[in-house]
Amino acid sequence: MGSQSFSDALGVDYGALAPLLIVLGGACVSVLLEAVLPRVRRRSVQLVFSLAVVVVALAAVIIRATSGAGDVVVLAGSLSVDAPGLFLWGTLLALAVPSVLMLADRSVEPGGVFVADPEALAEAQERVGAGSLRSTSSGLPSGTGTDTHGVVGRRGGAGPEPTTPPEMHTEIFPFVLFALGGMLAFSAANDLLTMFVALEVLSLPLYLLCGLARRRRLLSQEAAVKYFLLGAFASAFFLYGVALLYGYAGSVRLADIAASAAGPLRSDALLFAGLALLVVGLMFKASVGPFHTWTPDVYQGAPTPVTAFMAACTKVAAFGAILRVFTVAFGTTALEWRGVLWAVAIASMVIGTVLGITQTDLKRMVAYSSVAHAGFILIGCLAITPAGLSGTLFYLLAYGFTTIAILGLVSLVRSGDGEAGHLSGYAGLAQRSPVVAAALSFCLLALAGVPLTSGFTAKFAVFSAGLADGMAPLVIVGLVCSAIAAFFYLRVIVLMYFSDPAPDGPTVSLPGPMTTVAITLGVAVTLLLGVLPTAALEWAGAGTFLG
Amino acid sequence: MTTTIGEAIGFWILGPVALAGGLGMVFSRNAVHSALWLVLTMLSLGVIYMLQAAPFLGFTQIIVYTGAIMMLFVFVLMMVGRDASDSVVEVLRGQRVAAAVLGIGLAGLMIGAVAQSVGVPLAAGAPSGSNVGGLGLLVFQRYLLAFELTSALIITGAVGAMVYTFAGRAKSKAITQKERVAERLRGPLEKFGSRSGPGVFATADSVATPALLPDGSVAPESLSAIIEATARERLGHATELSRPGDEHDTAAHSHHAERGEIQGSQT
Amino acid sequence: MSPTNYLLLSALLFSIGTVGVLVRRNAIVVFMCVELMLNAVNLSLVTFSRINGSLDGQVMAFFVMVVAAAEVVVGLSIIMAIFRTRRTASVDDANLLKY
Repeated sequence: MGSQSFSDALGVDYGALAPLLIVLGGACVSVLLEAVLPRVRRRSVQLVFSLAVVVVALAAVIIRATSGAGDVVVLAGSLSVDAPGLFLWGTLLALAVPSVLMLADRSVEPGGVFVADPEALAEAQERVGAGSLRSTSSGLPSGTGTDTHGVVGRRGGAGPEPTTPPEMHTEIFPFVLFALGGMLAFSAANDLLTMFVALEVLSLPLYLLCGLARRRRLLSQEAAVKYFLLGAFASAFFLYGVALLYGYAGSVRLADIAASAAGPLRSDALLFAGLALLVVGLMFKASVGPFHTWTPDVYQGAPTPVTAFMAACTKVAAFGAILRVFTVAFGTTALEWRGVLWAVAIASMVIGTVLGITQTDLKRMVAYSSVAHAGFILIGCLAITPAGLSGTLFYLLAYGFTTIAILGLVSLVRSGDGEAGHLSGYAGLAQRSPVVAAALSFCLLALAGVPLTSGFTAKFAVFSAGLADGMAPLVIVGLVCSAIAAFFYLRVIVLMYFSDPAPDGPTVSLPGPMTTVAITLGVAVTLLLGVLPTAALEWAGAGTFLG
Repeated sequence: MTTTIGEAIGFWILGPVALAGGLGMVFSRNAVHSALWLVLTMLSLGVIYMLQAAPFLGFTQIIVYTGAIMMLFVFVLMMVGRDASDSVVEVLRGQRVAAAVLGIGLAGLMIGAVAQSVGVPLAAGAPSGSNVGGLGLLVFQRYLLAFELTSALIITGAVGAMVYTFAGRAKSKAITQKERVAERLRGPLEKFGSRSGPGVFATADSVATPALLPDGSVAPESLSAIIEATARERLGHATELSRPGDEHDTAAHSHHAERGEIQGSQT
Repeated sequence: MSPTNYLLLSALLFSIGTVGVLVRRNAIVVFMCVELMLNAVNLSLVTFSRINGSLDGQVMAFFVMVVAAAEVVVGLSIIMAIFRTRRTASVDDANLLKY
């Protein structure tokens, strides 16, 4: 006996586990850094450290994927490191880079979104005598998001420096790393218990991050409470599903569930009740269809960089888990449950599209658009074929980068009291800032699925996989919804280019280097995947799930 | 293997108690009562676990769930909204009916699904070995990853609670005595420093009251230029102060000045 | 007595918790209803563990407890924060985010 035989019994393969271990270990170190570093140096050190962790983990994924190491199931079958899993990990980590950059940025508003104490900051700036600053009185914030200390059209670094650099909640960095670690584990989990714990590991930091915009804390905390209560509710459903499936199969491993479903062991009522409850929990996280109710509120209320992180990465992780559960555990019984999920996919597409048209706030519009996109992605998940798998994976990659770019651009358009969320603020944006308007238009066209953007390639891949698997009605609904959705994306573009700007309309802040890099990355990948999608499609189609 | 009579008796006592606790939680208007009903449910579930050959889990349920988690709930309830009882007004029309229908439907579906396994015999042999030992082996071998992931969960919880509930402003720089004196002397009492100390006979320490020189005459520098009453004094009309018509006016002024001074000296 | 009775009790408790989440207005009470749902799941897990003759269900119930503890800490701190800002813990009053 000894450590050797113990790790043999567990099958610990550190090479395969490396990305997960790097991210979670990095998160723990990041918490320690929070404890030992002096306040003034935390932000820069944490930023560099988090980026390094993400990049090193990404490198580990790429090394693993290119080394030709086979698919393995590690840690006594609780984690499956296979080709699609590595693609999902790569996508998550690649999306984390711009997300971390946006989270750390504080060029757009003084102190950044996560400033620890906006009132103290405003007072400090008042003392220095920056005449352009107006400081509202402290005390209980009034009304909606107006308890903000707005700074109009001004770079934080441009004016007189406050006596001390504004503090921010640097705890966001460990939170993001923990959430990322949870996402990695969630998308690769090979048994339902690991999946449940990973679901919570990814959710709890996100709940916390949502409520940390102290400047507009009413909205932000409201979003956090709503997300938290609904998330806990949904994870209870997920868990009951796990319990029923355990009762059915006597094990929570995905492969064991599939094996039990193949044999005539028990009545299938437990199996399908369990699946239904499980799906409720998973669909909630992926903000699909009728389980989307939290999405618009949380997208709008959360700090915009968090929205970007959440919209891109959570969706990837959740759909990764959905794909794995459908393929590995329920692939053999697909014919029996797929009809119900057709209804869910249709509901998601229709709800996202129809309610998206009625929105007047850009972030809410992005939220409903994400609901519609979740429906499209679900088409790929329901086609339990290699083509469906690779199409879905590609769609997740493409959608993630486009969404991050859009939300980065949204954070730049600001009126006096923060972001100008309302669509009317975007009137005539092209005259004020042609570059921002052009980038935003390009990304919206990508969401609409116009050729030469990644959105077109992704939709094409998913829809063709759906058609090949005999889901023509679903694909037709998808096409109709895409066409209707294109209307509300085009409406924004028309608004930006063909109407006159309001005289007191919002201004466009100059982004700092970090936001610029994040947005550029998003736009570049959107373009690249639209023009040269072959490499990514090939990697996405490199293999199948390992049970 | 089948259940014993004793277990059946235990179930038929504890089961209804657990249900009553659940219903009581949902239907009691007061939040603290809800919490206590929930404690009742959790305690009976703990005993049910023990009946079901899960003694360790049963004790953990009572110690951790009832003892720690629910007490945290009650603790927060006592700080937040102890008096808050739910209003009976429905914000969304028909929401309660819809929720009740949905709940009954869900219960029906679940019971339908579960009842299919009626008559499933218990597994032939109960897990061999001790309960705790078996659990430990599973936690540290088969579910090692989940176990490690829970550490991430707990760290997140601890850090998160600190971020949210520690409303600390950064400590402002401590003011030295020297700075405090300098600030006071540059304040509204310039030249004349702080208030009269103990043992000094002073009828008032308002700026409106002029300082007296040792010979009893008014010190001219002590007259404030901006206060009307003392300005008059500077003009040599000190006697006018006692004129009845002006009394109210003067009092108001001196009161005002006094307030200003006190605020000034407290900074 | 069949062990299925435990499963029925669990299903009932889960449904009661669900209804509670939907009808109660106080955020803390809503959260307590979620805890009731988790407890119901634990009862199912323990019972299935016995029916299946394996300890996995009991281990899972442990993990549920740990997760619930962490979730409670996070949830209650969020609720405390919103209470400090608004002086209310009612979910009806959280109504700024809508179109």
